[in-house]
Amino acid sequence: MIKLQNISFDHCIKCTICNVYCPVARVSLFPGPKQSGPDTERFRIKSPELVDSTLKLCSNCKRCEIACPSNVKIADIIQEAKWKYLKRRWFRPRDLILSRTDLMGKFATLFNSIVNFFTRRSIVKFFLYLFIGIPYQKTLPEYENGTFEKHFYKNYPDQNKFPDHVVFFHGCFVNYNNHKLGRDLVKVLNSLNVGVNLVKEKCCGVPLIANGYINKAKKNAQYNINSLSEIHEKSNFKIVSTSSSCTYALKNEYSNLLNLDNSAISNEIEYITKFIYDRFESGNIFKMKPVPLRAAYHSPCHLERLGGVIYTIDLLKRIPGLDLVILHSECCGIAGTYGFKKEYYKLSQDIGKDLFRSIETANPEIVITDCETCALQIEMNTQFKVLHPVNILAMAVKE
Amino acid sequence: MYDCLIIGGGLAGLTCGIKCAKEGLRTAIISGGINSLHFSSGSIDLMGYSADKNIIHNPFKHIKSIKRKNPQHPYAKIPVKTIEESITFLTDELKSEKLLFYNNSGKNHFRITAIGATKPTYLSQESVFNEQLDLALKNNTRISILNFEGFRDYYQEFAFSNLKKNSLFNKLNISSGSIKLSFLPDTKKHLLESNSIDIARLFETEKYLPRISEEIKKAAGDSTIITLPAFIGLNNYNKIHKRLLELTGLQIYEIPTLPPSILGMRIDNALKSRFSSLGGEFIAGDKAAGGEIYNHRVTHIYTENYTEATHHAKYYVLSTGSFLSGGLQSGFNKMYEPVFNLQFNWSRKRNKWYSDNFFSAESHPFLSFGVNTNAALHPYDKDGNVIDNLYCIGAVLSDYDPVREASGGGVAVSTACYAAQKIINGIKG
Repeated sequence: MIKLQNISFDHCIKCTICNVYCPVARVSLFPGPKQSGPDTERFRIKSPELVDSTLKLCSNCKRCEIACPSNVKIADIIQEAKWKYLKRRWFRPRDLILSRTDLMGKFATLFNSIVNFFTRRSIVKFFLYLFIGIPYQKTLPEYENGTFEKHFYKNYPDQNKFPDHVVFFHGCFVNYNNHKLGRDLVKVLNSLNVGVNLVKEKCCGVPLIANGYINKAKKNAQYNINSLSEIHEKSNFKIVSTSSSCTYALKNEYSNLLNLDNSAISNEIEYITKFIYDRFESGNIFKMKPVPLRAAYHSPCHLERLGGVIYTIDLLKRIPGLDLVILHSECCGIAGTYGFKKEYYKLSQDIGKDLFRSIETANPEIVITDCETCALQIEMNTQFKVLHPVNILAMAVKE
Repeated sequence: MYDCLIIGGGLAGLTCGIKCAKEGLRTAIISGGINSLHFSSGSIDLMGYSADKNIIHNPFKHIKSIKRKNPQHPYAKIPVKTIEESITFLTDELKSEKLLFYNNSGKNHFRITAIGATKPTYLSQESVFNEQLDLALKNNTRISILNFEGFRDYYQEFAFSNLKKNSLFNKLNISSGSIKLSFLPDTKKHLLESNSIDIARLFETEKYLPRISEEIKKAAGDSTIITLPAFIGLNNYNKIHKRLLELTGLQIYEIPTLPPSILGMRIDNALKSRFSSLGGEFIAGDKAAGGEIYNHRVTHIYTENYTEATHHAKYYVLSTGSFLSGGLQSGFNKMYEPVFNLQFNWSRKRNKWYSDNFFSAESHPFLSFGVNTNAALHPYDKDGNVIDNLYCIGAVLSDYDPVREASGGGVAVSTACYAAQKIINGIKG
């Protein structure tokens, strides 16, 4: 039976514009979002055996949805078809490791120096490649000592003194791999007289969806919805996140893809630069000192999809001394866990090639981007350090 | 707070945005989905056919007469001088992005469509029409209509047989042929599975140009002019076109294909790059969902992704296009403008929306439906009040038929410049 609520593929007018903007179709045999999404969806519904295995090449960057003039949820159609129709093995150790960011993070942050020591060894990388298929050219992200949550409650006990408050959905990356970003966020928000609150949260589900663990993703999503809506109901605080992909999932994918009701929170969730932009616009600006850096800004696909790139650019432009080059918007190729799989490694590199070249041409001192995995990809493929816009804002705070 | 917030990033919206940004106004464009330049011929029409379906040779002369005959027409609301200036403005801006246009010294010229029909138009890229082609047609040079074998979005035989029937071409020595290239070297895609964009990228890599040129020369035989489907490069098209001419020694022209239209995308790329280099802010990936009107003014608009957050501006421009782009919406028995619910010119009877014959020379009535504005391009809200800080430009406007008149590009560009100038005057006092 065709579910009548899910026939956005019927709005496709076959204009093929999505193919133009698909980074995967550009470099591979992937037939493009139009064919993999709306074109073949109608066949798959009737005869699931007609599923085409090239579906798995889609990296879910969502650039097709940005391009679509008819509002077809192309990437969602492909994601759903991937886990509904494609056969996959029951036990996939690599995908399990890559997608259970929570589990891995909790474990690794306990023994972070040992884990980091091992993941940097070539011999370990080689075994990872051989046995589970993580490309040996990739560097796995380093883990912090302990979780951000723990550090937060220990180091920032006085958040109640501020007149305004937000809930910070820190996501796995800040919690396990990048405490600095979390600390910088607290610094920036506190300078705006906004206090930071944390709630119990689980991985937003983006890597789980990408690797086909849909039931687990739904469980996590429901947990987050409950936890966030409970605090929002009580306090009316806005919810912010420093990860563009987490924000997009919480806001849109929970309802569009996982069929969960997130209406209580979807309007309350904001990507951090949008939240800060609104404070700045209403006159609440902290005193800034110059940040004399030449920086290149790369806009991540999911922030593009969210329509949030201009807020980041606006904030960066306000920082005195920052010499900003805005790179042509294109996919870096890593697409979360996609680039960490040996079968997609070459594709992921080919997709990002133009971006790496344009970064080299811009010759900045640092690169700025909103997305944690884009940052990993750029650091692996260029010689530049990559920072988050919030890091730069924190550098500009005059104390 | 923006000085000017433009809803819709097509030819009209981008032109308006460039003009405002160039004057130092803080300008943003919200563009939900890609614009219809991607489906266009890549030529800019000004006025191609008169009301009695005759081909117009001198469009400006005809536009002057519109003021008398059809005072509601968008052209009737704009001084002819502004229309002339706006076309010059557009070509200058595109030129600074190295996209050169041919204009037949104030007169229309012909462009060839994918099926070999000829249409009057005002501006074309130099690979579509230039003086040399005009000269060659007079000297009866041999022309070969070529395509890559297996490419399915263009059929050279179709174009060829239609051109043969055309009075401009039937005395000429035309032939057709195909170029052999079994698959695309980089992605190993077969030509059968490729769109114009795949082949444009093949040209873009440049390293295959010598090999392609050899194949083109083989297929061209003793013709000195050849036409290819329009996919000779996208971003570096100038350089690649030149290089191909050198390598083959032939004159090479382009004929549009089925979408994606590479010719249109060149304009899109050039305008977007111009807009952002002038400091304009382009929001893709989000869509204006609605706006609030209070006391005859738009107070703010909100978007699909941020239904509670709002965008404020001193002036707003609605350039959301027609039905294809979603700027106008139709239901079973109603039509409306979705962002502000503006007063709308349309026929209440559904059977009056369209002609029975799809290819009717009378065109379809719905193509003339649209938002009703006053002489200054301000629309009316549903109670009939003029909205002072909102301008409507481009295909969202009513009382003109871009298809029957061949006037879409000209209306978009001239209304855009007209509104932009008013906004600039308003901000700068």
